[in-house]
Amino acid sequence: MSVLELKGVTAGYGHAAAVRDLDLSVKAGEVVALLGPNGAGKTTVLRTAVGLLQPTSGEVRVFGRRLGRRVEKNARAGVVLVPDTRAIFHQLTVRENLSLARRRGDLDIDAVLDRLPRLAPLVNRRVGLLSGGEQQMLALAKALLARPRVLLVDELSLGLAPLAVQELLPIVRALADEAWTGVLLVEQHVDLALATADRAVVLHHGRTALSGTAAELRADREAVRKAYFGDHEEDELVLAEDGAPLHA
Amino acid sequence: MPSSEHDRGGAALLEIRDLTVRYGGVVANDGVNLAIDRGEVVGLIGPNGAGKTSLVDAVTGFTAADGEVVLDGRRLDRLPPHRRRRAGLARTWQAGELFADLTVADNVAVAVQRRGWAGLVADVLGRSARTAPDPSLEMLGLLDDADRRPDELSLGRQRLVGVARALAGGSSVVLLDEPAAGLDTDESEAFGDVVRTMATSGRGVLLIDHDMNLVLNVCDRVYVLDFGRVIACGTPTEIRADAAVVAAYLGEEPVA
Amino acid sequence: MDQLVLFVTLGFAVGAVYAVIASSLVAVHAATGVLNFAQGSIALWGVWVAAELGATGTLILPIGSVQIADGPAPTTVAVAIGVASSALVALLTHLLVMRPLRSAPALSQVVASVGVMLLIVSLVPLRFDTTGAVAAPILPSGTIEVLGAQVAVADLIVLGLALTVAVLLAAYFRFTRWGTATRASAEDETALRLTGWSPDRLAALVWFTTGAATGLVAVVGSPSIGLDPISYTFYVLPGLAAALIARLRSVLVAAAAGLAIGVFQSLLMMMSTYDFWPVWAQAGFGETVPFLIVMVALFVFGRSIPERGGVQTLRMPPVRPPRTRPVYALVVVAATVAAILLTEGSWRFGVVTSIIMMLIALSLVVLTGYLGQISLAAMAFAGTGGFVLSRVTTEYGVPFPLSLVLPALAATVLGVIVGIPALRIRGAHLAVVTLAGALAIQTFVFGNPAFTPYEGNLIEDPTLFGLDLGVRSGTVLTTTSFALMVLVVVGTLTWATARLMRGRTGRSFLAIRSNERAAASVGIDVAGTKLLGFAFSAFLAGIGGCLIGYSRGQLSVESFTVFVGLTLLCTVYVAGITSLAGAVVAGLLAPLGVLATFLEGTLGVGHLYSLIAAIALVVTAVLNPVGITGSVRQASEHLIHRRTTRAQL
Ligand SMILES: Nc1ncnc2c1ncn2[C@@H]1O[C@H](COP(=O)(O)OP(=O)(O)OP(=O)(O)O)[C@@H](O)[C@H]1O
Ligand SMILES: Nc1ncnc2c1ncn2[C@@H]1O[C@H](COP(=O)(O)OP(=O)(O)O)[C@@H](O)[C@H]1O
Ligand SMILES: [Mg+2]
Ligand SMILES: [Mg+2]
Repeated sequence: MSVLELKGVTAGYGHAAAVRDLDLSVKAGEVVALLGPNGAGKTTVLRTAVGLLQPTSGEVRVFGRRLGRRVEKNARAGVVLVPDTRAIFHQLTVRENLSLARRRGDLDIDAVLDRLPRLAPLVNRRVGLLSGGEQQMLALAKALLARPRVLLVDELSLGLAPLAVQELLPIVRALADEAWTGVLLVEQHVDLALATADRAVVLHHGRTALSGTAAELRADREAVRKAYFGDHEEDELVLAEDGAPLHA
Repeated sequence: MPSSEHDRGGAALLEIRDLTVRYGGVVANDGVNLAIDRGEVVGLIGPNGAGKTSLVDAVTGFTAADGEVVLDGRRLDRLPPHRRRRAGLARTWQAGELFADLTVADNVAVAVQRRGWAGLVADVLGRSARTAPDPSLEMLGLLDDADRRPDELSLGRQRLVGVARALAGGSSVVLLDEPAAGLDTDESEAFGDVVRTMATSGRGVLLIDHDMNLVLNVCDRVYVLDFGRVIACGTPTEIRADAAVVAAYLGEEPVA
Repeated sequence: MDQLVLFVTLGFAVGAVYAVIASSLVAVHAATGVLNFAQGSIALWGVWVAAELGATGTLILPIGSVQIADGPAPTTVAVAIGVASSALVALLTHLLVMRPLRSAPALSQVVASVGVMLLIVSLVPLRFDTTGAVAAPILPSGTIEVLGAQVAVADLIVLGLALTVAVLLAAYFRFTRWGTATRASAEDETALRLTGWSPDRLAALVWFTTGAATGLVAVVGSPSIGLDPISYTFYVLPGLAAALIARLRSVLVAAAAGLAIGVFQSLLMMMSTYDFWPVWAQAGFGETVPFLIVMVALFVFGRSIPERGGVQTLRMPPVRPPRTRPVYALVVVAATVAAILLTEGSWRFGVVTSIIMMLIALSLVVLTGYLGQISLAAMAFAGTGGFVLSRVTTEYGVPFPLSLVLPALAATVLGVIVGIPALRIRGAHLAVVTLAGALAIQTFVFGNPAFTPYEGNLIEDPTLFGLDLGVRSGTVLTTTSFALMVLVVVGTLTWATARLMRGRTGRSFLAIRSNERAAASVGIDVAGTKLLGFAFSAFLAGIGGCLIGYSRGQLSVESFTVFVGLTLLCTVYVAGITSLAGAVVAGLLAPLGVLATFLEGTLGVGHLYSLIAAIALVVTAVLNPVGITGSVRQASEHLIHRRTTRAQL
């Protein structure tokens, strides 16, 4: 079952549409990588999927129901976004930030810190003082504590050291495998994203330029490269994993 | 001409000697020595929280520090930040820190202009301050965005505006703090060329980034910082093979 | 010794009100980032509702009233309803005024809160019979002996209430997740929503609770403080000083400081009964000193460049640098000349006042709109100009153009002095510090008998090359030559300011306004440029003050008080604090200006002026979060955009 589904979504800012007529779905337990050059509209897709931005046409469905306008309600229902601005509070300490994310009776903070050992010694530091990468780890930790059923991550590797990325991506993968969360992962590092994801979609100018299983795209890096330049011919050629064309 | 630290004779363009930064109990930099020559691109890498940004903050005067900062023979470590910038030491910010109220063109122009009372008199009596866009905008491919405001740009391009701002108005050394964060693979490659171009005019460049393709391809030498200390320094090839660096920073998997 | 103890305890009741206002200010600021200037007025309303109930059993509402008892209502009922009405006023302020403004620039919320304050102050005398009213005792009237002095039990209870409130609020913020979330919401509401919390509800809770708490302490304390139609409103000033001592962070420190100020003022009262105490240190001294202490303390602990992750500056409305369009300038000048020539009497006086106020408004556009330094001291600078003008013309006979420049330079010097704290203090903190500066100027300069002669501050009429530029001539109230002189002076300075704003200086100002650290990193001398801004702005205001002086022939202190300064800032904000056009609109709206003349003379609703002005201020602030001219610009840009896109299709 799809936990997140975008149907014919067009969305943007003011008068310009940044995403046009986009179809996309994420199943429970699945990691979908959302790729594409800068300005392709990836962040816009994520903002629309959590309700920060209203589509001008088309619709967003989560757990089969239409997504509401109240972001906080969506978040409590389990649609959690880690935005590129990180959504952490600089004036609070690390522990206070984490305590805000915790839902009653859910995971406790120490359990999450166990999985992020680099964050553990910093729990009492004011977040504004942390280094960029440390803040990024906190943003992910905060999302984990919220027990997401749909996790939307914008550029996880931003500001993270290679070793840290290698540690964090498996945590995201494990969330899908163990907690059956649907993950939509925006990444600039194509190789890392394809190594983690089940499926991938490449956006270009707000439209799907290419989509397929991660394995297919790993095998055909040339197609991915072309899609980054906006080569729309590839569009129809790639099929979804069940063999059906993804686009009508 | 890559060379490792030991066989360098004469004074470098920027010399950082025995730099120590403490925040209360946290020691962010611990006796760091670092040098950048004319026309050289020097990389600075290290795990998150190793103290890279703290080093840039200290060198440019935004954090109190012990140690010496010498630019072209001149001691800068007692000067306030704006005087260090006017002496030719420019930086970018990891979090962007652009002027949200100014257009991209003005973000860059504000770095070039005459200031204070002289600027005031020139404004009232002199000719209009509108001038042609700074060449650094073209170099970074930002001309199309010149009249937009920073928050309308994607993250990657915002970082480039920061770089353009640092290049404008005469800088002999630029310290770039994760300028390529948020760039896609092609843009990052193109940015590598821009970094090389910056250095050809004799400018010294310090490049902090976690994009190993970029750092290892572009830099002449690379310093590696961990827990505030330099744990390795050498050519990209040496660094890639250094066991300590692999363990602390690069990790076992092949880097993208 | 027992006299000392007595005076200390006499300060408890007022100190308790200061304390509860200060804790509430800190709490509301923590929740919403707003400095709520209306906090004192919220208490005022509750106090009067309770008093009226206790006296006549009538519940007075802003519109209409309800008789709930025949004769005086029982004390508990009166207190409960009084407290509830304070809480409701606070909640309504949040729901109707602050919530619509939640994503607007922070200054718009401050302005709206000043509007609410003025609204309540002007409503109270209209709704309540304020002559001869007394608050009936609420608490037991006994005394106990402490260190040899008789201390009223009631005062101790009030004190206990205020401290309990502070402790509870502090515990809420420190130990509960809701409290943590409330603090987070002031920093980033979107991020808080993404974390699954509703910022609106958290804020509503804080507004309601602090409203009730302020009401409670004030109502219970009112019998020993006394009833009058405004004083509680002004208690927000010591409240602000105390909140600032706590750096707007700690509720407990704020409460303690509020109490200390109350006690300090009471002790000062004792001192002023002694002969050795100097005359100049009486009126206003008790209000000013705490602020000066705050100012010094904040400066010492402040940082010249904000540290990593430090407090962000307040968000301001967007700016489009002015383009020089000579045609528009000519049209405006021609229209003004026409307005001067075609009017006479009070209308012409209104036109001239508007032109002058436009210049003072412009000084705020430069300092607050462009440089981002919120200043409540513009009127104080103007007043300084006027006072020095009186001195140099009557005592030293300084001739005309120089008689404008010298006082303006004096104002400039004061501007720089008030600007020095701005090198290390920012945002809302700075606003309060400039308030301190204004208060100090008001107390030690305007209110100082040594400077203010009994016959008032007379001003000699200006002449130039034998030409009489005086404002009056025979029965003519405002001469053409004076009006044209004002136009020339203001026009020249406006032209220079416009060039400045679109030039390099304006760009550096805007850079500092958006990000001081980044500004320093591109080589801008942040400290020097800030002082330049303060100096320039004070110069403009100083000239404006001189022109006001010339237009009246004599200077009155009332035109330059702190509250006039506060009102001016609000007027300029709603007019549009980031543009020249905003300054022009603010000039038209200013007291005694064109609009006021219209209301006064044509509509004859002068006695409702302050109420109308307050309502207009709140409504305009809510409807135009970026100011009137900002809204007009947005609308026209929208229109142009629609037209061009249609043309492209
Ligand atoms: N004012 C401060 N007080 C306390 N600790 C601080 C302060 N500023 C920075 N730190 C800590 O100092 C360490 C070094 O920070 P720095 O920003 O220099 O790291 P970095 O190498 O740039 O990391 P990244 O790659 O994540 O950007 C971090 O652990 C950070 O939390
Ligand atoms: N707040 C905004 N206002 C106006 N345009 C925006 C805004 N945010 C993004 N855009 C524009 O929308 C397009 C898509 O941006 P974005 O979704 O951020 O792309 P990506 O995340 O793929 O880099 C870009 O052209 C960008 O300039
Ligand atoms: Mg993005
Ligand atoms: Mg860093």
